[in-house]
Amino acid sequence: MFSSRLFRRRAAALGAGVAVTALALTACSTGSSDNVPGGDDTSDASSVEEMLANAPVADESLFTPGSTMEKIRERGTLIVAEALDAPLLSQQDPTNPENVSGFDAYLAQLLSVYIFGEPSVEIVPPASETREALLQNGTVDVVFNTYTITEERAEQVSFAGPYFNSGLAVAVPADNDEINGIDDLGGKTVIVGANTPAVTAVPEAQPTAELIDFATDPQAVQALLQGRGDAYVQDYVLLASNAANNDELKVVGQPFTEEPYGIGLQHGDEEFKKFINDWLLEIQESGEWGQAWELSLGTVVESEIPTPPSIGSVPGS
Amino acid sequence: MEMITENAGLLLDAIGTTLLMVVVAGVGSLILGVLVTVARVSPIPILRRAAFLYVQFFINVPLLALLLLAVFALPDAGLILPLLPTAIIVLTVYESAYVAEAVRSGVNTVAVGQIEASRALGLTLWQTLRLVVIPQSLRAVVQPIGNVMIALAMNTALAAVVGVVELTSRVNKINLVYAQPIEIFTGAGIVYMLIALAIGLAAGRIERKVAILR
Repeated sequence: MFSSRLFRRRAAALGAGVAVTALALTACSTGSSDNVPGGDDTSDASSVEEMLANAPVADESLFTPGSTMEKIRERGTLIVAEALDAPLLSQQDPTNPENVSGFDAYLAQLLSVYIFGEPSVEIVPPASETREALLQNGTVDVVFNTYTITEERAEQVSFAGPYFNSGLAVAVPADNDEINGIDDLGGKTVIVGANTPAVTAVPEAQPTAELIDFATDPQAVQALLQGRGDAYVQDYVLLASNAANNDELKVVGQPFTEEPYGIGLQHGDEEFKKFINDWLLEIQESGEWGQAWELSLGTVVESEIPTPPSIGSVPGS
Repeated sequence: MEMITENAGLLLDAIGTTLLMVVVAGVGSLILGVLVTVARVSPIPILRRAAFLYVQFFINVPLLALLLLAVFALPDAGLILPLLPTAIIVLTVYESAYVAEAVRSGVNTVAVGQIEASRALGLTLWQTLRLVVIPQSLRAVVQPIGNVMIALAMNTALAAVVGVVELTSRVNKINLVYAQPIEIFTGAGIVYMLIALAIGLAAGRIERKVAILR
């Protein structure tokens, strides 16, 4: 049902011939998995093209006949469920639909480089309500969609990763001095994004808080500033980015949850899960993970590249 | 199954909200729609013109756009209402345009001779409309209005986008925890189907009772 909305981004990002040449060269040099390029100090990728051009490519021996990764390689494109409207994570440029930027988007592109040697991602725009169904019926290969690993979900799908640890924080209008964090939200009206982890996390932390949910982040901010709620609970990086662009908004307190984001896979596909976990380790070591962070979330947060969470460290992963 | 029993209270609440929206917006749009039709067939040019524009506007602007405008733009103009009343008002004015079109087609079934006759009997314009034209046109369009009401019931789901916790919004939230979209949304679909079925059957019954055999 989503086929009409599929977006194709083959090697479009690699417009320049130079970049393509560079890609071909690195594809040879990083062909074997034990030949890991040095830490993130060797390549200071300033652009997405450079990052992708230098990204590791999987060894031929990893594509065992009949495996999921082999089928994907045969098909020639990686089908990913990811958002097109999540700033810093996966956002489509409305004037240039080929250009999808953000942390999730970059990781998906890096994974496609790992499989094909060049970026080739087909995006199925999200229905975060139906991510499980999309995986189960084989519409998509992987889900990069701020997909928090939970044990309930792990009964329906498999999770590789976690690949990122996020957390929820509280934002209030700049002139509000009463709310200084999640502890002050009892009995208050709290705005959350529909289908975000906040929908379940806020009632757990503050059972008396009343929740209103809005479909998109800009709507939620608008609603908060118009006084429809006392506070807005959302991923702290997103909030930091909002607050940086808007003087009327401020983030209070520290993140109060840990949201380990995982890569959703078809349930029980252990071989593919190991393949992706190995890839995650590889890009963490070779620095692409950090580069993807710097090019997206890192642009609005004043801090060092965070330490990636260790693979399989969360129940359900 | 346990996800339904564990959340029974919340689900019933949400179904209640959906039904409340259907009933209030339904009754409201019937009244408003008939008034718009009256304006549209009245001999006063400015009223006819205004009613025409009203109907064209609401039929040609998507409901979702109207909801978003009412929830996010009106507060900037200084008008802020809680979310549920806002959604009900928007649904009412939107569906009333469709009711008005349905009733207008009913008006066309009333023979011109009847209106001439009522004028000959000395009825005023208002009396002619109230006693002759509107009752007969409503009787002629029971089934089309039933369809508008079914559409209204389905359209309530759009209120989920602007933060109203009705059935669709609630099952979305439950799915976030249980991650079983097929079961959860099928269940919600069945509830909507039952609501539509009830409206459809009721419309059929009413029609059989009031239809004018010509």
